[in-house]
Amino acid sequence: MQNLEIKGSHGDYDVPTVFFNAETGVCELKGESYLEKTAEFYDRLLAWLDEYIETVSNPITFNFRLTYFNTSSSKRILYILLKLKEYEDNGGEVTTNWYYDEDDTDMEEEIEDFRIISNLEINALPDSSLRWE
Amino acid sequence: MEQNNKFNLVDYHFRSQQEVVVSYKGPFDKGAMNMIGNYIRGLISMNPQASKKVFKVFIELAQNIAQYSAEKNIIGEYVGAGVGSLVIVDYPDYFQVVTGNLIDNGDLGPVIDKCELINTLDKEGLRKLKREQLKQNDYERAGADIGLIQLAITSDNPLDIEVKPIDQNCSFFTIRVKINK
Repeated sequence: MQNLEIKGSHGDYDVPTVFFNAETGVCELKGESYLEKTAEFYDRLLAWLDEYIETVSNPITFNFRLTYFNTSSSKRILYILLKLKEYEDNGGEVTTNWYYDEDDTDMEEEIEDFRIISNLEINALPDSSLRWE
Repeated sequence: MEQNNKFNLVDYHFRSQQEVVVSYKGPFDKGAMNMIGNYIRGLISMNPQASKKVFKVFIELAQNIAQYSAEKNIIGEYVGAGVGSLVIVDYPDYFQVVTGNLIDNGDLGPVIDKCELINTLDKEGLRKLKREQLKQNDYERAGADIGLIQLAITSDNPLDIEVKPIDQNCSFFTIRVKINK
């Protein structure tokens, strides 16, 4: 199975950087997410996860390093979390880490809200390199 | 009679209060988003927490106008981004992000109801409402329908809205979001 790599962009609409590794099961989503075509973008990510879960079925470590996302992205991020939760419920091994700037209390609350809605264990990990600039 | 219209730029320039840091009227397309977004990022070193909130509020409001304004930027047969107005005001104790756009009268009721509900809720109530709406969201819809709730959460202030009826079909909808420094 192929890795999924999308180089993010910064400027007008911001596209996050994606690196999903089929060999190690480590999936990274970082940067800022406020896209023009949010659904199309996240559908690719969800389709990759579906294929990985069906064909590779190894453990997944999902690392979020998003410094900002808009509300239409929140909805799509939730679909990722729900998919991870479903995989875990069906016997898959899932670790979800969410790295964030310690001073960003809004982000801390977003993570907590995602945890409550999805019932997925999300490790909130402070990382000062994610200070927004 | 032939009229000789001269737009008075001096009046326009000085009519804005001194505290106005950005004012824009036009299509909320990529170019406008980029320019204004980068300007706000430039403010961040002075007041990181408040400026980030200003940025988030700007993005949500601007994307609302781009998608939902009843007035579109039409170039020939091409229907572009929604048109609206934006002003960011820098008061001593807070920023105010103000946007306005035309809205179909048919869409007005639900938006006003939503804002009124939001303004009755505290932070925890808002987060609960946001979680409920996110949970029961329709996959096919582009937006998440939590934009207004998120504005209230991010700004930590009530949403100040105003409606000016224009004609049978549409009204001008203004929203002011205050962000404490």
